[in-house]
Amino acid sequence: MPDYQLLYKYLRNIASSEPIDENTEKFVLQKDHLLEVAKVISRFEGVYLRTMTASDERNVNGFYKLYYVFGIDSLHKNIVLEVPIPEKDASAPSIADYVRAADWYELEAHDLMGIQFSRELPQNFVLPEDWPKDVYPLRKDYSIEDLVKLYRPRIEAQAREIGAEAALLIPIGPYHPALHEPEHFELYVVGEKIVDVKYRGFMVHRGIEKLAESMKYDQVPFLAERICGICGYVHSTSYCQAVENALKLQVPERAEYIRSIILEIERIHSHLLWLGVAFHLIGYDTGFMHMWRIRENVMILAELLTGSRKTYGINIVGGVRRDIDEEKIKKCLAVLDNLEKEFKNLIDIALAVPQVKSRLRGTGYLPPSEAAQLSLVGPTVRGSGLPRDVRRDYPYAAYKYVGVEPVTRSEGDNMARAEVRVGEVFQSIELLRQLLDKIPRGSIALESWEPEANKHGIGSVEAPRGEVIHYIITGRLSPYRWRVRAPTYQNLPAVPIMLRNGDLADAPLTIASIDPCFSCTDRALVIDLKSGKSRSIPLVLLAQKGFGALR
Amino acid sequence: MIDMVKFVKVIPIASKVGTVTIRYPYDKPLVTESFRGAIEIDPAKCVGCGACTRICPPKALTLVQEGNTLILRYFVGRCIFCGMCADVCPEKAITITKEFELATDQIHDLYTDVEHELVECERCGTKFVAKKLLDKVKSIVEVLPEDRAKLCPNCRRLETLSRAATPR
Amino acid sequence: MEIQSVEGFSKRDLEKALQRLKKSIWVFHLNTGSCNGCDIEILDVLTPWFDVERFGIKLVASPRHADVVLLTGPITVKALPRIAKALRAVPRPRLVLAIGSCAVGGNIWFESYATMGGLYNVLDMLQESGITIDKIVYIPGCPARPEAIIYGVAVLLGLVKPKSHYRKVKA
Repeated sequence: MPDYQLLYKYLRNIASSEPIDENTEKFVLQKDHLLEVAKVISRFEGVYLRTMTASDERNVNGFYKLYYVFGIDSLHKNIVLEVPIPEKDASAPSIADYVRAADWYELEAHDLMGIQFSRELPQNFVLPEDWPKDVYPLRKDYSIEDLVKLYRPRIEAQAREIGAEAALLIPIGPYHPALHEPEHFELYVVGEKIVDVKYRGFMVHRGIEKLAESMKYDQVPFLAERICGICGYVHSTSYCQAVENALKLQVPERAEYIRSIILEIERIHSHLLWLGVAFHLIGYDTGFMHMWRIRENVMILAELLTGSRKTYGINIVGGVRRDIDEEKIKKCLAVLDNLEKEFKNLIDIALAVPQVKSRLRGTGYLPPSEAAQLSLVGPTVRGSGLPRDVRRDYPYAAYKYVGVEPVTRSEGDNMARAEVRVGEVFQSIELLRQLLDKIPRGSIALESWEPEANKHGIGSVEAPRGEVIHYIITGRLSPYRWRVRAPTYQNLPAVPIMLRNGDLADAPLTIASIDPCFSCTDRALVIDLKSGKSRSIPLVLLAQKGFGALR
Repeated sequence: MIDMVKFVKVIPIASKVGTVTIRYPYDKPLVTESFRGAIEIDPAKCVGCGACTRICPPKALTLVQEGNTLILRYFVGRCIFCGMCADVCPEKAITITKEFELATDQIHDLYTDVEHELVECERCGTKFVAKKLLDKVKSIVEVLPEDRAKLCPNCRRLETLSRAATPR
Repeated sequence: MEIQSVEGFSKRDLEKALQRLKKSIWVFHLNTGSCNGCDIEILDVLTPWFDVERFGIKLVASPRHADVVLLTGPITVKALPRIAKALRAVPRPRLVLAIGSCAVGGNIWFESYATMGGLYNVLDMLQESGITIDKIVYIPGCPARPEAIIYGVAVLLGLVKPKSHYRKVKA
C-alpha cells in the first residue's frame, strides 16, 4: 500500500488546509498549482476522484470555486481541493489527461457554470443545442424565471419549425434519421464489430441543482428522491447526510437503522429489476416474468414500511418521518425468508439456461486497470475485481455498526457483473436480518436544528448502481450549492471501452450491465462505416438480431 | 448433462405458484395500511394560515387571492403524496386518504378550492388575513391589543410608531 | 406515406374510434425525461401480478402502430422536438394517457428552465404545429400505481366514469 502520508505532507506544504469533518481535509490551492497536484495525486494508487463541483461564490468572496473530492478508500478519508477562480479570468487548467475521471466533470462545469478549461470542449453537453450562448444557468446572475424567459422564445420557434415540416409530405419510415432526436448511444460498426461509440444524453436534465437553491432544507429530500425512480432513496439519504455532516447534526441511532433498512430493501428491488430486464434483453422472458413476480413482494413491503411503493418520502434532515413497529418487523422477516428461498431456486435455474450463459459469459470485458483509472463504482467495478464499496470504505448510517464485505468477481465480463448483483441480493437479505434484529430504541428524528450558512458537507451512499455522492454548501434558508453525482454518470465513460471490438448483438446487454438509469425502451443509432447506412434501432431488437437489424 | 436441462425445473415452480394475478378492478387492489393517497382538507378546521403551502415541495397547495376571497387551492395533479402538509398543519385539518383512483379527462376536475373570507384593514383597506385565522389568533393570544387587531402589518407598525412618538 | 391530420375529425368520429378500441389496444410508451418511476410501474402492469395482457393490451415499438400513447415525464426542453415528432406520427385519433405527477402537472420542477411543466402546458404549442390530441386522460400519482394506471385506461375507454370532480367549499 502506498505511503499516503507523503501525499498529505506534499499538500500541506503547498496549500493551507482546513478540516471539513473528522475524515475530510480541505486544501485551498492556487489554480497554477492544480495541474502539478493532479499529476502527483494520479501517481498514488488507491486514490479515486469521487466528484468535482463548480460553485459561484462571487457574492460571498468574489470568486468562482472548483472543489475536487478525492477519496482514499483504504484510509476511509477524503481530500478536497478548493481552487478559487477569479471572475475576470474564469478559466482553469484541465487535469483530464492525468485524472481521466475528471473529463465529464470539466464538461459540466463548462456547460453550466461557464468555466473555460485548457482544452477544446464541445458546447452544450448538458444543455440543449440551441441554448443561448454565454448564459450559464448555475451562475447566481440568473434566477429560474430569468432563464425561462430567455429560452422560451426558442422553444416556440422550434415548435413552429416542426409544424412547418409537417406541411411537406416526406416519406419517413418507422426509423428516424439522426435529425432532431439524438439517441443516447451512437454505435459505429464495420460489419458485426463495433469500432467506436459516442454517447449523447442528458435528456433528463431538469435543472434540479438550480431548483434546490430556492427551496427550503426539508423540501429538498423530496426533490432528491425523484432524481431516479429506481434508486431515489439513496439520493434523499445522501442529501440529508451531507447537510447533517455540514452542520454537525447527530442523527438518532434508530433513524440510522431505519434508513439502512430501507436502503437495503431498495437494493434488493433494484437488483431484481435489473436481472429481469437483462433476461428480457437476452430473450429469456420466463426469467423476466418470474423475477418481477418475486420483486412485487418487495414493493408491497416497501409500501407497508414507508407509505409508498417507490419515492418513499420518509427522509428529513435530522432523521426519518415514519417508524417501524414490531408488527412490521415480523412481516418484513417473513417476506425476506420467502424471498430468499424463491430467489435461490430461480437464479440457479436462470443462470443455467444455455442461452443466458452464452450471452453473458465472455462479453463486455472491462480491464481492471481501466476501471481503476476511471474511478468507476458499484457492481461495474466489483465485477472486475476492485473491492470498492462505500458501505465499507466510507461508512455511514447503520453500516458504522454492522460490517459489510464487498462482493467481487474477477472475470470482468457481463456474467461477473450479474453474479455480483446476485451475491448482493443474498448479502442484503442477511444484512436486513441483522439490522432488524439489532435496531435500538429511541427517537426517529432530531427535535429541532438550526441552519448555518457557508458550511461544507459530503454525503455518500452505496446505491445499487454504485457510489452516490452529494456535496453541499449551506445557506441560511436554502442550500447555497448542491452537487449531485449519480453512479451512472461515473460509469458511462466505461461503456465505449467495454463495447470496442465487441459484437453488435452484445452491445445492449453490455450497456445494460452497468445498470444505466435511462429508459429501457431506448434505441441506439447504428452507423455502418462500410455501407454508410445508419438506422435508429430499439435496443431489444439489436440484442436479438445484431447486425441483421440494420437490413 | 444435468446442467443443460436444469432450466426445465422452472415448470414445477410455475405450477406451484399458480396465478398471482390480482384481478383488479374485479378484485381489491394491493393497498397496505400505510398507503398515502390524495389528501382531504376539512374546511371547518382550516384557518387559512398557509403553513401547508409553504412546505409543499411541488406547490400543489397554493394560496391565491381572488377579489374578496382567499382560496387554498389543492391541485392533485401535481401532488406527490408525501403527506408533509398533514404533518405540518397546526389545526390537523388535513387527512391523508387512500384514494388513488383519481384519473379524469378534464384537468379542471383535479382542483379543490377552500374559500376563506378575508378581513379588511381598517386604515388602508387592503385585505390582509383570513377571518378564521384572525379569530384563531384572538382565541390563543391572551393579551391582544384589540384596537390594533384589524390593521394590516404595515398600518399596525405605523400606528404603533405614531403612538410611541406622541406622548400621552 | 404519412397521412396528414384530417380536418373535421369530429366528436362522433372519436366516439366511434373509442368503441372499436374496447377489444384490445396497442400502446406506445413515450418517456419525455421522467425519473423512470412511472415507467417501471408501466412495465409492472405487464407482469404477472397485474397482467394487463388479459385485456389485450400490447406494447408496440413505433408510434405509427399505436392506439394510445403512454406519456411519462415533465417534457424536458431537450426532449420536446422528439416528443412532437413522435406524437405527429401517431395516427388519429390521438389518445394520450398522461401518467404521473410529472406528465399531469410538471411535478416539483414545473417552473424549472429545463422542463415544459407537463403535457397540459404544451397542448397549445402542439395544436399550432398541427398536432391535435383528441383525448387525454390525466393519471395523478408519484409514481402512479399500477392499479391507478389500469383505472386510467378504464376511464379512457369509457368503462368507468371518473370520480374526481372540481369542488369548491367555504371554510
